[in-house]
Formats: sequence, C-alpha cells, structure tokens
Amino acid sequence: MSHLPKHRQLPDKESKLFKELLTQYELKGYKKGLKAADTILKKFPNHGETLALKALTLYSSLPSPLTVSTAPKQDEAEAMARLAVKKDITSHITWHVLGILAKSRKDWDEASRAFAMARKQDNDNIPLIRDSISLYLHTRQYSQAVSARHHYLLLRPQIRSSWLGLVVAHHLDGDIDEALRAYDGFADCMQTDGATGPEKSQVCLYIVKLCMEGGKHEEALRRLEKGLADKVISPRGEASQLKAELLFTLGRREEAEDAYRALLEQNPDNLEYYRGFLRTKGLDITASLDQDATSRVLAQLSTFAESYPRSSAPRRLALDIAQGETFRTLARDYLVSGLEKGVPSLFVDVKGVYPDASKMSVVGEVVEDIISNVQKDVSLHADGLTPLRLPRSTDDSSVGVLLPCAPPGSPPQPFPGVQARPRPPLHRTRAHADPPEIHMAKAMVLKRAGDAQGAAEAMEEARLLDGQDRFLNGKAAKYWLRAGDVKKAEDLVAMFTKKDMTAVADLTDLQCLWFLQEEGDAYRRNGNLAMALKRYQALVNVFQDYEDDQYDFHTYCMRRMTLAAYVSLMRYEDQLRSHPGYFKGALAAIGVYLQLSDKPDLKEEKLTPEEEAERKKAAKKAQKADQKAKKAAAAASDGKKEDPPVPDADPLGQQLLKTETPLDDALKLWKPLETHAAARIETWLAGYEIQIRRKLFLAALQCLQESAAIDGENPDLHRQILHFHRTVSAATDLPSAVKSTIEATLPSLLPTGTTPDDFNASFLSRHPASSAHILGAAGGLLEIKRASNPLPSNTSAEILAVLDKLFSDGVSPSIEVLQKGRSVLEEAGADKAVLEAWRERCRTKLPLAWVFASKEEVEARNASEGPVPNGTVKADV
Amino acid sequence: MDIRQATVDDLLGMQNANLLNLPENYTFKYYLYHALTWPELSYVAVDPRGRVVGYILAKMEEEPSEEPCGHVTSISVLRPYRRLGLANKLMRQAQEAMVAHYNAAKITLHVRKSNRAAISLYRDTLGFEVHLMEKGYYADGEDAYGMRYLFQRPT
Ligand SMILES: CC(C)(COP(=O)(O)OP(=O)(O)OC[C@H]1O[C@@H](n2cnc3c(N)ncnc32)[C@H](O)[C@@H]1OP(=O)(O)O)[C@@H](O)C(=O)NCCC(=O)NCCS
Repeated sequence: MSHLPKHRQLPDKESKLFKELLTQYELKGYKKGLKAADTILKKFPNHGETLALKALTLYSSLPSPLTVSTAPKQDEAEAMARLAVKKDITSHITWHVLGILAKSRKDWDEASRAFAMARKQDNDNIPLIRDSISLYLHTRQYSQAVSARHHYLLLRPQIRSSWLGLVVAHHLDGDIDEALRAYDGFADCMQTDGATGPEKSQVCLYIVKLCMEGGKHEEALRRLEKGLADKVISPRGEASQLKAELLFTLGRREEAEDAYRALLEQNPDNLEYYRGFLRTKGLDITASLDQDATSRVLAQLSTFAESYPRSSAPRRLALDIAQGETFRTLARDYLVSGLEKGVPSLFVDVKGVYPDASKMSVVGEVVEDIISNVQKDVSLHADGLTPLRLPRSTDDSSVGVLLPCAPPGSPPQPFPGVQARPRPPLHRTRAHADPPEIHMAKAMVLKRAGDAQGAAEAMEEARLLDGQDRFLNGKAAKYWLRAGDVKKAEDLVAMFTKKDMTAVADLTDLQCLWFLQEEGDAYRRNGNLAMALKRYQALVNVFQDYEDDQYDFHTYCMRRMTLAAYVSLMRYEDQLRSHPGYFKGALAAIGVYLQLSDKPDLKEEKLTPEEEAERKKAAKKAQKADQKAKKAAAAASDGKKEDPPVPDADPLGQQLLKTETPLDDALKLWKPLETHAAARIETWLAGYEIQIRRKLFLAALQCLQESAAIDGENPDLHRQILHFHRTVSAATDLPSAVKSTIEATLPSLLPTGTTPDDFNASFLSRHPASSAHILGAAGGLLEIKRASNPLPSNTSAEILAVLDKLFSDGVSPSIEVLQKGRSVLEEAGADKAVLEAWRERCRTKLPLAWVFASKEEVEARNASEGPVPNGTVKADV
Repeated sequence: MDIRQATVDDLLGMQNANLLNLPENYTFKYYLYHALTWPELSYVAVDPRGRVVGYILAKMEEEPSEEPCGHVTSISVLRPYRRLGLANKLMRQAQEAMVAHYNAAKITLHVRKSNRAAISLYRDTLGFEVHLMEKGYYADGEDAYGMRYLFQRPT
C-alpha cells in the first residue's frame, strides 16, 4: 500500500469502507455501497477512486428504461465519473469507470479511449483487457486488438478462447498466415481438451475457410477432408459445398461434379448447387451463353427436373437461360402448371425475367393468350385437348392474379399488349367465393393505376376475408398509408401489437422498418414534415441499434467457437448501411431536409383546423402526462411507487423540424450512402443536391461525375448539369483553384462550345419517346431560363411545349412523371388555368389515376360510396 | 425459389418476413443469437430478386438434458408464396441439419391452437404429435400446443 500516491491514500477506517464499497458493488448492494462512499467522501471529498466507484454504484442502481425520477441521477453519475478522473488521473479505477459508463451509453470511441488509459495504469488487469479487446474489435482497431490478444494470451494461455481469439484477430487484421500459424500452434491442445463435437466442427470449418480466403486451396481441402474423415464435421450442407468448390477450383472437375450431385440429393432447391454443378461442365450460367451452351444447360436442367419433380428450381432456372421460341414454350408450360396449382406468387415469380425486355413481351403475349383461352374455355395444353385443371379453391378467377404483374414503375397495364382489354376477373362480383388473393390483385392494379383510395378499399376487403392473417393486416395498413389515412392504418396494425403501448411504439421497438418508412412517407405526402422526419429518424436509429448489437458477440462467439459466423457478422456490419431499407429511409429524410433548407418557412407549420384541434389535444395530453410524471417523481422521491419511464421529449417531431442545420443533418445520413451505396445513382444525385447547397462546388461536381459514370443519360443528372453550369456561371467569388478545376472538368459533362440550349435540345432528340427524359429536358430548360431573374415571361409556355411530348403517341408517362411535370410547370410560373388544364390532360391520359381527379369528382365519388373513413381522398393536383 | 442455409446477411430479411407474418416478433439481436450459436440450423427461401419470402429460425435447447433437442423458434412464409411446399422444405432442411450437426434426438415447437395451416403442416405432412398443451402461452391469451417429432437415429 505504501506505493500509493498521496492523494489516493486513505486512513485505515476509510480504507476499510472503500473495500466495503467494492464488495457491495459486486454484490449489487447499491444502497450500502453508496452509504460507504458517502462516509468516505465526507472526510475526503477529493478522493478520485471513491468518487468513481460511487458514480458506478449510482449508475448501476438505476432502472432501465430510465424513469422520470431517476433520469437526473444518470447525469449526476456521468458528471461524477468525469470529476473522478480529474481528481485522480493516474488511477486505473477512475478510467475504468469512465469507460464502463461510456460503454453503456454506446459511445464506443470514448469507451475505447478510456479503457486504453485504464490499461496504461494497470497493465495486467484481466477484465480491463477483455473489455479493451471487444472495444478494439468493435471500433475496427484491429492491430490494437491483436496486441491486446497477445497480452491476454500470455496471462491466460490455458484457455481455449484466448488462442482462438488471437487467430481471429490476426484474420481480421488481414494477416491470414499469422492466423494459421497461431492456430497450428495450439491445435494440439484442442484435441485433448473438452470442446464438444459441434464446437470442434465450427473451428474446423472456420480454418478451412480461412485457408480458402488466403488462396491456400490445397491446404483447405486437406484440412476439410481430414475433418470429414475424422467425423469432426458432417458432410451435410456447408462442408460439402466447400469441398465441391475446392475440387472445382483445383481443377478436379469430375470429383466436383459428384460433390454437387450429392449436394443436390441433400437439397434440390438450392440454386447455387445447380450453378456449381453446371460450372463443372464448363457452363457458367452467370455469364452469357452461346447457343450450344444454352441447349446443353437446358438439357441438364430438364434431366434434373425429372429427377426432382417436387423442386421448381430447375424449371425456373431454365426460364432465365432459354431464349426465343424455347423460352416461349417453357414459359407457357411453367405458367400453365403454376396456374393449375393455383400458385398465387406465380407472376411475381416470373417477374424475375423482366429485366430482359424481349422475354417480358413474350410473357405478355403468353398471358394474353392464356386469358383469352380461359375465356373461350379452350385447353391450355400443348395437345389442345387436356382441359385446364384449375384448383378448386381458386377456379378461373385465379387468372385475376395474372394481372398485377407490371414491372415496377411502369404504367398500369400489366403486360405490354394486355392493357386495352377489359379485365373480366377483376370486375367479376363473386364476393363470397373469392379468396383474398382476388381482392389483393385488384388492390395492386388500382394502386399502380394511381387510385390509392380504391386500392386501400380493395385490400381492406381482402383483409376482412381472413382477419387472423397478419400478412393481410399489414398489407391493408400499408395501403391505407398510401391513401394518406394514418389513423386507420395505425388502428389496423394495433390488432397485432402489444396492448399496453401504442402500435407505433411497439413497432419501433421491434424494428419494423417497413412501417416506419411507409408511415414517414404518408406523413410527408400529407405535408406533415415533422412527423415524417420523426419516423425516418426512428428508422435510422434502428440501423444504429443493428450496429450496436454486435458488441456482445465479440466475446460470445469466442466462447461458442462460432468463428466463421462471427467473421461474417463483422463483415456484414461493415456494410450494414448498404441495406435497401437504410438507403430508402435516408434518401427520404434527405429529401425533407433539402426542402427545409430551401424553404425555412416550412418549419413554421400551417395547420388545418382539424390538425390544430388534434395538436391541441395532444398538447393537453402531453401536459397531463408531464404533470402526472412530475407528481410521480415527487411521489417516488417520497419513497412511494409509480415512476413512469421518461417520456419522449419530441413526440411530434417538432424539434427535428426546427433544425438549424438541415444540410448537416442531411449530410450525416448521406455519408454512409457515399461509402456503401456508391453504385446507386440516387446516392450521387442526392449528394449533388446537398453539396451544391453547401456551396461546395467541387464536391458537387464530383457527385455529377460519379452519376455520369453510372448513367450519363440519366434525366435528373441532365438537369443537375445545367443547374451546376448556371450556378457556377453566376458565382462571382470562386477561388481561382476551384474555378480552374471546374473549367478543366465540366467539359466532360457539358462539352465546351455546346450552348446549354443545344445541350438540352440534343438530349431531348436522343430520347424522343422516353417520358423520364422528356421531363428531364423540361427541367433542364427551366435551369437555362433561370439564368435570368425574373424568369422570362415565355418560360412556362416553352416548358409546356416540351412537356407536350409526354402526350404523344408511343410515349407512356407514369403517374410520377406527370406529377413531376406539374411541379416543373409550377416552378416555371405557370398560372392556375395552365395547371388546371394540365390536370385534365393527365386525368384523360390515365383515367384510373384518381390522383388527377378534380375535387368535385372526388367528392362525388365519396358521396356515392358513402362516407369514406375520415374523408381522406384528396385531390393532389 | 432458392432454399438455402441462412447467413448473417439474411437475418434482416427474416426479421422482415417474421414481422409481416406473425404476431410473435423479435429484435435483431435475437436473430443474431441464433445465427451465431447454431449457424447451420436456420434456412431461408429466397425469390429470384434476392428477397427472403420464407424462413425457419431454429436452435438447440440450451438447458442441459439427456438428449440434444432441436427447437423451432419461428417459421413462416409470405402469403403470396404459401402452399408451394416452402415451409415443408424449410422444416425438412432444418431437421436434417439438427440431426447431422447436433445429433438431435427430437425437435419441438409451439403452435397456436387455432392455427390450422401450421398444425396440418406439422402433424399431417411432417408427422409431429401434440405432446402438451400450454394454457395462455401467447401474449393474447391463446393456448399453445407443444408439438414434437422424435428422430429415428442409428443407435
Ligand atoms: C404455416 C405456414 C408456415 C405454411 O407454409 P407453406 O409454405 O404454405 O406450407 P407448405 O406449402 O409447405 O404446406 C405443406 C403442407 O402443410 C399443410 N398446409 C399448409 N397450409 C395449409 C392451409 N392453409 N390449410 C391447410 N393445410 C395447410 C398442407 O398439408 C400442405 O401440404 P399440401 O399443400 O400438399 O396440401 C404458412 O401458412 C405461414 O407462414 N403462415 C403464417 C405464419 C404461421 O402461422 N407460422 C407458423 C407458426 S407456428
């Protein structure tokens, strides 16, 4: 004890109390611990380690989730821990406590720094090293993780997980040779100690994969075969797949073929097994195939289809491979047999061939033919005789399921050529016998056609036919959200959520991404940007939770020896935000922040009277809750019960909306897209919008270049290029370095010598029949006109002349394009009459698209159908 | 539909399908716990565009018992993909894996008394039997059947 620095020394009595404090902490005797701490502090208020332990004890005594009365205590504990470090900066205890608190706050960087400081003071402290290792791994400081692992191994050489941990750390640090050396160094003890069979199997497979990753295929195969021979690993599944891959890589094709055959015996529905098998025959179906190769693949697949009649995989794969007439025949067979089985997903399934335009139109023709034959009661079979055997439950109405299969974003007709016909199955009124699928199909068609309200009503009918089915419940809720009826949607989803909280709270806890996205979108469409941000941010937070969730597994997986799964977790988390759910949510939120940046007055909400009333009600409720909470807090500190969890400080998203830094908020969401969604043009289009508003011209220009590398003809990019040109031309205070870079780079996007007008005209002439490009050219023209302020008086007329092309023969504009066309007109200063005329043309062009209906029409429809819930059909245009 | 062993990359797709299909839901961490403890036992059915349309989330019982016992935590198939035999195939793959990798002697699961489709799948198609009834097992008060299937194992 004599080595203790002066400020840390305590007299005997206090020293005893300090030990008592430690013991009580470990025994979770928090009250007694705090008492001991206070007694010490009374005499030695500056004793850092006591302060630290008091902070830790206090912190640990708090309930989770925090309650109204305990929330301030958490802040108190945090402050105390910080103070403790100040008072005793060379104590491992003060740093350790600071680290523990940062860790529970999930501030991994601060925690990692604090633990590193603690270790400096107390090098061989086992729990400290263990936490440090996890934090290094968590924050991807792999070389530090390796040294900490080495250190740990020296202190605990007899424990298996300390060896395995070192192997994995080397692996993650990118040093596979060293990882294998470390493994072989301890492999011998592994044989004799008490690992279970499954544990040994995990380790063996991991090492095989490690070798493969390091390009050591021979060695991998040797280890794998030994594992199989010793029955350490089972030949079922992954081990055999690795073996097949290795044999193939090593050029032992016949053995590889046998291995794949064996795998197909285990699971004839695994597509990778078919691909692998075909590879051993020199047929790579992921690349393009010549005619000879195509027919060889089809022959193989058809053999497999016979061997495995219950598996649809070989037949479905054949559709991807076949071309021309062969494709037509196979597609027809596939569709007819699917119809006969009443497969509801049949056309969703066949939709996979859509990227290939010619196949898509063949499917369209086949469907057309099937529909007309069904109506004429003609056999669908090749012999022309065998009748169509539709399943009992669905009968011919299942053909209705054919309809809603248009590729995403296309106009409402399901297949090219099928558009013009009336849709008998859709309008047939056979309410009792129809399965929900018919209503779902109808709902999907109406949704695509632009009738959100009608779609929601149809989906509601489907739902009512099977109220127990959560799938239908969720679909109906989603459709109500699309129709703008948030309340109805929330009432529906509440049928399947916890009863003691709101549906939204439960779905947020359960990380229900689709709901957060859809409800955010619904709020955004309804103009409630505050709530839209609220939901989008909740979605973004879910991804933070997904990231934080990995923490416990840094130690857990070493113990369970699931090393390969652990490494795949690490790699997965590294690219977590490439997930389409994040992509979509982030882009939507960025869109709102851009709106806020452009029009700060959107932060001052204009409320309709109903919303005003709603708001008042909510405010009253919040006030009541607050009072109740305060009372409860008072009661709690009196030792009485009832202490509610801390309420959400911003339940209506007002604080989010009021942000002073919308562009920084947008940038924060965008950063992960830049790294993880760099292949998506939307990333760079959004990036441009952020950077140009931040006046970072070079960063904006780089976004344009990235977009151009993905798709130089993208219509939004086209408009952005013209926007950029205008913006930098008008900027007078560009630093010369910026200016010269722009001058050097911009010509790759907008050639020197080409005037903006020529650029726009030539863009339009390159894409005369594409509605998106026509819209892009209209937007481009607007950017050109904006060079003069105010806009020239003929602007809207000229833009209308471009947009007119959307209504030419052979152009099929989507609802979205037409809506955006209206926005361009509005931006160009078109007057009311022009906008109204625009609406009417859209209405005529797409008669099912109720978004283009007039107010009167909507009202008439609502009246004829009886009161629609909350009267939410709004004429948007 | 592609049927294959689930990987970490599939877990969010499984979580999504589970939230769409069933009232019993779990946070991501629980899926991680399964995938990082018994990586071989969970399977997914994936459509041509890579979307998880069906899954089985399975585990081994952790409580020490005489014989290794597998358990189905959750299984479901998106409605448009039902009656294609997917659940049947997913169950069989998971069962085979339990035996091959963990030497399982039996497999158990819980099912709502009113869930005709699932009971028919387990009992009629897969040969499970009801071995107990748990009153009020589910959050809404519905009773559960405990069902099980004993694997034939070479002795
Ligand atoms: C239960 C569920 C998983 C079945 O999935 P599935 O892929 O449709 O099932 P399969 O196609 O493999 O069906 C296999 C067999 O189960 C039985 N079965 C499945 N669905 C059935 C239904 N709706 N009614 C009666 N029997 C049914 C049949 O015997 C069927 O064989 P068959 O089609 O040759 O007659 C699916 O309906 C589902 O996801 N439901 C909602 C979620 C759920 O209830 N999960 C189970 C929780 S314990």
